[in-house]
Amino acid sequence: MIEYRDVVKSYGGKPVVKGINLTIQEGEFVILIGPSGCGKTTTLKMLNRLIPMDSGDILINGKSIKEQEPELLRRNIGYVIQQIGLFPNMTVEQNITVVPRMLKWDKERRRERAKELLALVDMDYDTYAHKYPNELSGGQQQRIGVLRALAAEPPIVLMDEPFGALDPITRDSLQDEIKDLQKRLNKTVIFVTHDMNEAIKLADRIVFMCDGKILQAASPEEMLRSPADDIIREFMGKHVQRVHMEDELTCSDIMRHRVATISPQRRTLECVELMSQREVNSLIVVDDDRTYLGIVAIEDIKDRGVAGETICPLIRTDVPCVETGQHAKEAFRLLMDMKADYVVVVTPDKKLAGIVTKSSMSKAMASALWGEG
Amino acid sequence: MPWDRVWEHFTLVMTALGFIIVIGVVLGVVSYLYPKLSKPILTIVDVMQTIPSLATLGIIMVFMGGNRRTVIIGIILYSLLPIVRNTNSGLNGVSPAVKEAARGMGMTRLYQLFHVDLPLAFPLIFTGIRIAAVTSISVAVFGTFVGGGGLGTVIYQGIRVSSMRQILFGTAALMAMALLIDGIMGLIEKRLYRRIGLQMPQE
Ligand SMILES: Nc1ncnc2c1ncn2[C@@H]1O[C@H](COP(=O)(O)OP(=O)(O)O)[C@@H](O)[C@H]1O
Ligand SMILES: [Mg+2]
Repeated sequence: MIEYRDVVKSYGGKPVVKGINLTIQEGEFVILIGPSGCGKTTTLKMLNRLIPMDSGDILINGKSIKEQEPELLRRNIGYVIQQIGLFPNMTVEQNITVVPRMLKWDKERRRERAKELLALVDMDYDTYAHKYPNELSGGQQQRIGVLRALAAEPPIVLMDEPFGALDPITRDSLQDEIKDLQKRLNKTVIFVTHDMNEAIKLADRIVFMCDGKILQAASPEEMLRSPADDIIREFMGKHVQRVHMEDELTCSDIMRHRVATISPQRRTLECVELMSQREVNSLIVVDDDRTYLGIVAIEDIKDRGVAGETICPLIRTDVPCVETGQHAKEAFRLLMDMKADYVVVVTPDKKLAGIVTKSSMSKAMASALWGEG
Repeated sequence: MPWDRVWEHFTLVMTALGFIIVIGVVLGVVSYLYPKLSKPILTIVDVMQTIPSLATLGIIMVFMGGNRRTVIIGIILYSLLPIVRNTNSGLNGVSPAVKEAARGMGMTRLYQLFHVDLPLAFPLIFTGIRIAAVTSISVAVFGTFVGGGGLGTVIYQGIRVSSMRQILFGTAALMAMALLIDGIMGLIEKRLYRRIGLQMPQE
């Protein structure tokens, strides 16, 4: 467990971290996010004493970091930076095992560890171990940067915008890898980013900083649902809308209002006529006060219909049906699972409200995502 | 006889170079580890090189007498600059990201110096050594005036007895020695830079 207690840091009289209090549980993936210059890096680097704090304290498992030699402390905390910083004079294997070497692991054990680590990221030992960093691609270099941080099995890993300089595809796969490694190895990770996508994808908890203070610390879902501040809302931009869409869009938001209906007293031939006019295969059957009764489909008329009779005996009631106030998600699920062409939407008093089709749904999503359009 | 002088010149330069490398690298490292000392050290070393080498030798001779040792000290003082300067700028030139990573991994200052900073600065330090070697070869020519022997003696005698053969021999030997050492060290230097994937600095 890591505890920040009233941690303060100033540069030349200008406070940049203004009393941070934060408790991080073992195995937690915490993301520090916020506008540039808000003190994320400073907060991170005070933990491994790369930056000395002015006042307050940071405890790791109850023990103040000030009581430990900075170098010894750092050997127990993994550290990954955006500029990667592999040692150009060392091979991949030497880079990975640099901390174990300082910890005086013997050669055999270091080699085993290097093999094990390279296997974690699917890099072949014989191919890569003896290469120099400048022979690797950017993505491979940062993989080695991550392995170097993990080599001596530190329980805590600090990462400062580690994937910020990589192309989007490489970044995406490294994000997957790091999340996977973190879960598998049960590491406590503190990860700085200014990319909300990255934060939402990786974090157990997002800590939003602004101007040296924590504005909100919450799970991604909670922060998206109820951002504590306009700055956070703005920072999350379109993500907020996406959650609104999932959580707050109802079936009535995504349905089509104009629906071809028919009364149960109509006869089969009229019905077929109406269908061909409207170019549809089925009609919604409602009585005079628009109470929903079911649907009538062209196949049923062809198979069982008798000319001159009413459509009453042909009405089907097994079509998927939702209420106006239900989550849009429910209509979506029915549409996908039942392979139905549409879902009928009714009001609570069983009157027909509309139908949800795949196209009405995509229109509604598009306008939620990109505004009215 | 003149071939002995070639050998004499060569050993003079090599002995001096041995001292220069040790002293120069140590001064360069000190000026890197203690930035406050960096300015004074570099200034002193710089000023020493601006004194004409003959004058330097003369001054030392007043204190130490005229002998081989005087020449060696003269060469050292005169050729220190490139190594001190290159050691300093090589160490300071190691990328900040690499230094931050070294600290972040928990290296102590000295561990970082020997395992990261010096290995990465080595190509530039080697360039300094090459320049110092070539400088030393020509400074050692003045050694003859303070009783140090070497190829300067051959050329000086050639002038006195108007022997074109001797003058040419001395000059050619000096040039060959300089070119040879410069060439060999230049080749090594190229490989050093290539190994750590750096660009050769423009000269
Ligand atoms: N060494 C320093 N000297 C003076 N000011 C600094 C120093 N390092 C950082 N700062 C200032 O402290 C603030 C916070 O920096 P930082 O923690 O790096 O922000 P972030 O990582 O959130 O972008 C910034 O305004 C920055 O200019
Ligand atoms: Mg930063």
